[in-house]
Amino acid sequence: MLWLTAFFLVPYLIVVIYSFLSPDIYDVRFEVSLDAYRQIFAGNYLRPFLLSFKLAIYTTLICILLGFPVAYYIARAKEKLRNTLLIFIIIPFWTNLIIRIFSWRIFLAYNGVLNDLLISAGLISTPLEIMRTDLAVILVMVYVYLPYMILPLYSTLEKLDFTLLNAAMDLGANEVKAFFSITLPLAVEGIFAGTLLVFIPSLGAYLIPQLVGNQRSLYVGQVITYKIKNIPRNWPMASALSLTLLLLVAVMLLIMYYLFRKHKARRLQS
Amino acid sequence: MENIILENLSKDFGAFLAVDKVNLEIKSGELFSFLGPSGCGKTTLLRMIAGFEIPSQGKISIGNSEITDLPPYKREVNTIFQNYSLFPHMTVFDNVAFGLRIKKRPKDEIRQRVHEMLTLVKMEDQALKYPDQISGGQKQRIAIARALINKPQVLLLDEPLAALDLKLRQHMLIELMNIHDAVGITFIYVTHDQSEAMSISDTMAVMNQGKIVQSGPPDDIYERPASIFSAYFIGETNLITGEVTAVHEDYIELSCPDGSGKNLEIDSSFHVAPAPGRQITLSLRPEKIAISRNKPRAMDDINMLKGVIEDILYLGTHTQYIVRVGKLKFRVFSQHKRVYFDDKALDWEESVWLFWHDTDTWLIEEIPSESMFIDDPEGASGLQRYVKRGKI
Repeated sequence: MLWLTAFFLVPYLIVVIYSFLSPDIYDVRFEVSLDAYRQIFAGNYLRPFLLSFKLAIYTTLICILLGFPVAYYIARAKEKLRNTLLIFIIIPFWTNLIIRIFSWRIFLAYNGVLNDLLISAGLISTPLEIMRTDLAVILVMVYVYLPYMILPLYSTLEKLDFTLLNAAMDLGANEVKAFFSITLPLAVEGIFAGTLLVFIPSLGAYLIPQLVGNQRSLYVGQVITYKIKNIPRNWPMASALSLTLLLLVAVMLLIMYYLFRKHKARRLQS
Repeated sequence: MENIILENLSKDFGAFLAVDKVNLEIKSGELFSFLGPSGCGKTTLLRMIAGFEIPSQGKISIGNSEITDLPPYKREVNTIFQNYSLFPHMTVFDNVAFGLRIKKRPKDEIRQRVHEMLTLVKMEDQALKYPDQISGGQKQRIAIARALINKPQVLLLDEPLAALDLKLRQHMLIELMNIHDAVGITFIYVTHDQSEAMSISDTMAVMNQGKIVQSGPPDDIYERPASIFSAYFIGETNLITGEVTAVHEDYIELSCPDGSGKNLEIDSSFHVAPAPGRQITLSLRPEKIAISRNKPRAMDDINMLKGVIEDILYLGTHTQYIVRVGKLKFRVFSQHKRVYFDDKALDWEESVWLFWHDTDTWLIEEIPSESMFIDDPEGASGLQRYVKRGKI
């Protein structure tokens, strides 16, 4: 409790207080002002928010699409193979995130490994501009967050009774129908958990857009950082943006919680 | 309605031959069961008929149409799975409606048919519950309704009662027979429980090591086992093995290699007359043997011998006596009737007479191997010495 108060509640209160103060070149002036919120509600920062949401949605969707088959395959694999595969999913965490992002920069660069490979394979004649595009940001985001989707998905799929699929096929469903009527509904909990773990951090992404993105499309995380880093500083603006993001995440969480409760309740009623 | 024909059907999993060249015709409308110990291939056989396993060899047909390579969803065959496999995220109603929804039938028809099926299995008031809110027996009924709503030609049941307790099992067994009579389609039932198979089946097949050892009506298999495996796996039995030394008109003599040097004569009905010099085995069911303290009056066609009670096992419905006769041990079942042969109950170490009608022994032309009697090594090894008309 003390820990939470000292290191979570108090800092947040400071952020809340700062968001209602006036900016100064280096610090804040202790004059109450609603200017920061006025600007946000006027839509001046709509673009970074939209970009961040777009990024979070794309990242989550791609992670689900890529993660599901992987998680399914691991869940159905034999015990021994399963553990090996799980270790493979976890191994990337052993390397520092920044180092991994930098290796992506080398890989995606204009005269980097990927372009060299594609050219020598004869698929393209001039190098592709991938580095410093929104595509690169999504690519690296998916790379970083994929394990956070695979692991919860795996844990629900592992509990799935695969004879249910036999039963569905026995009753006339082909593989596709069996997947959509049995596997997918029973994996919803895993998808929920994975989405929480991927969507929310993606929304506040800073590091990856900063390192592989470009400066034309700034995400919320970057905007907040620039407000503090660049002079003249604008602490109230940065605080207000942070709080707005927090509020949005909280709303998202509530919606998901509500959906999940509804999903659960449907099974528990009567 | 068509017969199911299995021709030369085999399935191997690598080096393990699960089903070995099975040939069988299951008549339409029959309640047919496969009985065998675990690992005998009965479930694999069922899964091949359902379409979950592709046979390594052979053919499966329903009537004239071959279904060997059809996927499960294209076969007019439905299965009741061992753990029911009800869909946990659907209500009872949705579970039963699943097959019809997949076939995109009109809503009214679905509602009406689901209602019919739920009525058939007496679950019409539980339609809105989820599988985890109903009991094991109720799940069983829903699984049956879910399968039958598709009007299959054949219903496959894979150990359907294994998860239920004894009372419920007996109840569901009767229920299953009633449902079978009501819908009139072929049921193929797989079980390792002989009493289940015997009471429910029109015809049953005893399986061992991937092969069908014997098939026929249950009473036929019980009374006239074709092999030592059938005799031993179904029910309990006393096996008596010896060399035929002489064949007379109404009895044969068996050699007695237990050291006594005597030739014993056994007087029984034989479906085939064994040739002298052959080793034969006789099966004698424990409940066919009468046990008495006093020597019974000598009668035609009755075999008698004298022994000592070595063990008494009280089993509720009957008592099992282990009686030592020379070097041989007999199991004898005696029901608890108030009308005793003797005025007081038998006790340990008492000497008793065993007697039975000669048509109650059954000749098996096969010699038991030691491995067949893991649980009863003594009964197997020293089996050979015998008896004629009460003299030992």
